[in-house]
Amino acid sequence: MRTLFNCKECVDLLMDYLEGNLDPEIQKKLDQHFAACPPCVKFLDSYRACSEMAQQLKDQQVRIPLELENRLKAFLKEEIKKV
Amino acid sequence: MVIFSLRQMRAKELGQQQIIEGLKSHDSEIVDDFVQQFSRPLFGIILNYTKNPSDAEEILQDTLLRVIRKIDTFRQESDLWPWMKRIAINNSIMWLRKNRSIRQREVHLEDFTPQFSEDGHLEHPIFSWPVDPEDIILNTELASQLYEAIQSLPFEYRTPLVLRDIEGYPVKQIASLLGLKEATAKTRVHRARLFLREKLIKYFEGQA
Repeated sequence: MRTLFNCKECVDLLMDYLEGNLDPEIQKKLDQHFAACPPCVKFLDSYRACSEMAQQLKDQQVRIPLELENRLKAFLKEEIKKV
Repeated sequence: MVIFSLRQMRAKELGQQQIIEGLKSHDSEIVDDFVQQFSRPLFGIILNYTKNPSDAEEILQDTLLRVIRKIDTFRQESDLWPWMKRIAINNSIMWLRKNRSIRQREVHLEDFTPQFSEDGHLEHPIFSWPVDPEDIILNTELASQLYEAIQSLPFEYRTPLVLRDIEGYPVKQIASLLGLKEATAKTRVHRARLFLREKLIKYFEGQA
């Protein structure tokens, strides 16, 4: 039985690896691969960075035109009159 | 698209109780303040699911109306914002499900996934990621690139990714929201991240 994973097997398991969902034996095999494979460490860092960058979008907002805001106010007031 | 931080938002902040009472009694002044205070953050959430502004406007309008119509069912001891956010997310997902067949562009995820040799080794050299993830707060061009990349994902992949990475939902909840098996939801988030990574690498290479 092979003791080390190859790069593809590691990449397939990155999400579970980062979230700590792997069986300790599997986690150990990934750690062994990372220790011996600098490209996979870079890959892991970039994969993690993408997810973290997307998380930052949570605090971003878009501007909406005043005209839309006014349209929404008028629409809602019309709708609540119907109730 | 102009993106700015929520922290930079200037809004007349109403207290939760004031909003609830005002919406229940259909107080038109409170309705105005409610739109002013919440339409922008809700619009931001909705735009993560659809980039078409007129579609997003339609979803936003429906979301605000649903909040007013359902306000009597809101449990007072809970926080209003997560409740409204859930309504916006559910509305966006329902809307996308209904419209995806006519609007979805053909994107092949395989074109944006890492390539491996036959024995499973990474084929291309991997370069070091050039930015700190937090830089995206100040780098609006990078934020727009990421936003565009997310928007170019097919619905099946975009929604799980937005729910996991932007909204922070656990995979189990994403699976239940989208009617998927947990393993499928997880695979889609993973493949969407690989796609974003490749897209951003192409952007960084163009910058170099």
